Amino acid sequence: MFIAAQLINGISASALLLIYSLGVVVIMGHMNVVNMAHGECIMLGAYVCYYINTVAGAPFFVALIMSFVVTALFGLLIERLVIRKLYGKTAETLLATYALSLIVKQLVNLICGSELKYIAIPFEGHLDIGGVTIPYYNIFIILFAAVILLVTWIIFYKTPFGTKMRAVTSNRPMTECLGINAHAVDSLTFAFGVGLAGLAGAVLAPIRGVSPFMGASYITDSFINVCVGGLQSMIGTTLSSLLIGESTSILGGFWNEVDAKILVFLIVVVLIRFRPDGLFRKEKR
Amino acid sequence: MKSRFLKKLLSAALAVTTCAGIVTGMTGCEGGSSDEIKIGLLFSKTGATAITEECMINAAQMAIDEVNDAGGINGKKLTYVLEDYATDAATAAEKIKKLIMQDEVIATVGCYTSASRIACEPVVEDNDSLLIYPTFYEGEEPSKNVVYTGAVPNQQGDIFVPWLAENVGKKFFLLGTDTVYAQLINSQCRASLDACGGEVVGEEYVPNAHNDFSSIITKIKEADPDVLFVNLNGDSGVAFFKQYKQYGLDASTMPVASYLLDESTVAALGAETAAGHYTSINYVSTLDTDANKEFLKKYHEKFGDDAEMTVVGEETYVSVKLLAEALKKTDDYSAASIIKAMDGITLDVPEGQVKFDPETNHLYLRGRIAKVSDEGKFEVVYESPELIKPDPTK
Repeated sequence: MFIAAQLINGISASALLLIYSLGVVVIMGHMNVVNMAHGECIMLGAYVCYYINTVAGAPFFVALIMSFVVTALFGLLIERLVIRKLYGKTAETLLATYALSLIVKQLVNLICGSELKYIAIPFEGHLDIGGVTIPYYNIFIILFAAVILLVTWIIFYKTPFGTKMRAVTSNRPMTECLGINAHAVDSLTFAFGVGLAGLAGAVLAPIRGVSPFMGASYITDSFINVCVGGLQSMIGTTLSSLLIGESTSILGGFWNEVDAKILVFLIVVVLIRFRPDGLFRKEKR
Repeated sequence: MKSRFLKKLLSAALAVTTCAGIVTGMTGCEGGSSDEIKIGLLFSKTGATAITEECMINAAQMAIDEVNDAGGINGKKLTYVLEDYATDAATAAEKIKKLIMQDEVIATVGCYTSASRIACEPVVEDNDSLLIYPTFYEGEEPSKNVVYTGAVPNQQGDIFVPWLAENVGKKFFLLGTDTVYAQLINSQCRASLDACGGEVVGEEYVPNAHNDFSSIITKIKEADPDVLFVNLNGDSGVAFFKQYKQYGLDASTMPVASYLLDESTVAALGAETAAGHYTSINYVSTLDTDANKEFLKKYHEKFGDDAEMTVVGEETYVSVKLLAEALKKTDDYSAASIIKAMDGITLDVPEGQVKFDPETNHLYLRGRIAKVSDEGKFEVVYESPELIKPDPTK
């Protein structure tokens, strides 16, 4: 029973990991921008959720959608102001977005205050199946992860926009020659990635607490996850979420959380040593 | 060539700053004239703990006003210089040095985080100044230049664990952030449980900023304890309480006991999640005494009805009052003689009576256990009959 419980815990942990990593797949995998402000984008989404759900009293689903919209607009803004100048310079994007993360963190701290914010859990209660407890909200998280994975996949592989975007990723000059406005594609892709981070923040907010400094907890995990998965691969990231989420839960269950975390990182380092491009490498022509 | 030029520049800069130092030093001397006594206040007005420390600044200002309204220190006015250390230990050390050297304060009331206190200690020791530290903390070998007015673990734990074992249950599960503080608190809890016939059915630590407690909660369910003894830092604590509720654990059968459950955590959790859990502390703002009601009335008149009073605010108020009493008894403002003058002082403050302990530079305090009510307020369920002697090195 204990194992079953930990396995199920692992699935919801994996789903959460996937939700807050998808934005990195889009921005780092497809745009080659190391967005060090990813954690702060998550944090902004959480704050939007707080203001709309707790302060304004609107339903949680409205807050979810607004988190996506507001953070995506923020993404659009910083793409225009900062990122646009830095395409192709990975190290510079890292520095610029790191500075941005500090600014956003302190601004939110000044404006909203440093105390933790309260958001009610949208689906109270839990399911009991033969001694295994599954909170309803965890079931929602698993379903939600599946839905946004599917939506992202459809946008990338089944829409004209996705085709353009992948074209820009694989050969920018050629795409421009074909008359596609690469700048517009960049802006929208970046905004979409940031919006996904905001959405993740809104999903995390009710169960993890909301504070200006919450981003730090998520950025390392999401970067590692995406590196293991293989930068551009959504399937790879899904599998590596499962791998990391399950192994952390099971090792944590039988051992302790501190050592489990160290061991999982060790496994990741060894894995990256032998497969530097991650589990799923995109074949390059 | 270049390095010689740099050296010259450096020595010129040094000369200028030394001169400036002498000049400000002199004006400082004139400023610290015979009709006023200047103290420093060192709190964060910006940074991660600014919200918590706002109440401390307010309480200190209120106490200083009260001292002056009652005739000051033997006719001298008590004045203050407020510095912001921005929740940063290095800044705290810098600012307290500025307070001592430039403003020539005779003592400083301040610091909230342990890190800031530890950073300030060598500075007050080297300059033979005095720091009064108003926060409950993990305990340490007392510095001869620091007076501590907050509770130390023995003043919280000595009554907390036996009371829980007797009134709630004897099976404890210990959980904490992987820090020196939590490990120490848990080993003290273990010792105290052994003494009263309780047992530890599980002990877990999580990395800093950990926020997925599903594995741990599954373990807790397996172990089936009566009490969860939980000391998790900041965000981790909130995440734990929320997931505790999510997984259907119930405060009426398995309540959480934590030193780190305060008014601000309860606000972040919401009353429905915080209700039924316990904390042990010397002061809660809901304390039902005339002294406390009077204190809160004055506080709200001064700072508005929404201003919250917390244990650290009250302890700051106590710090200023203690310092003022000591200054009335001595003309020599060196750290040693101020501390000597504190010997034998008992004060009537909002939390009741407190007494200075010359052996440890801490205070004898009354221990209190409080439970969060359904409305999210702390209700005192137990008070120690005697003041508890501080034992900061236990």
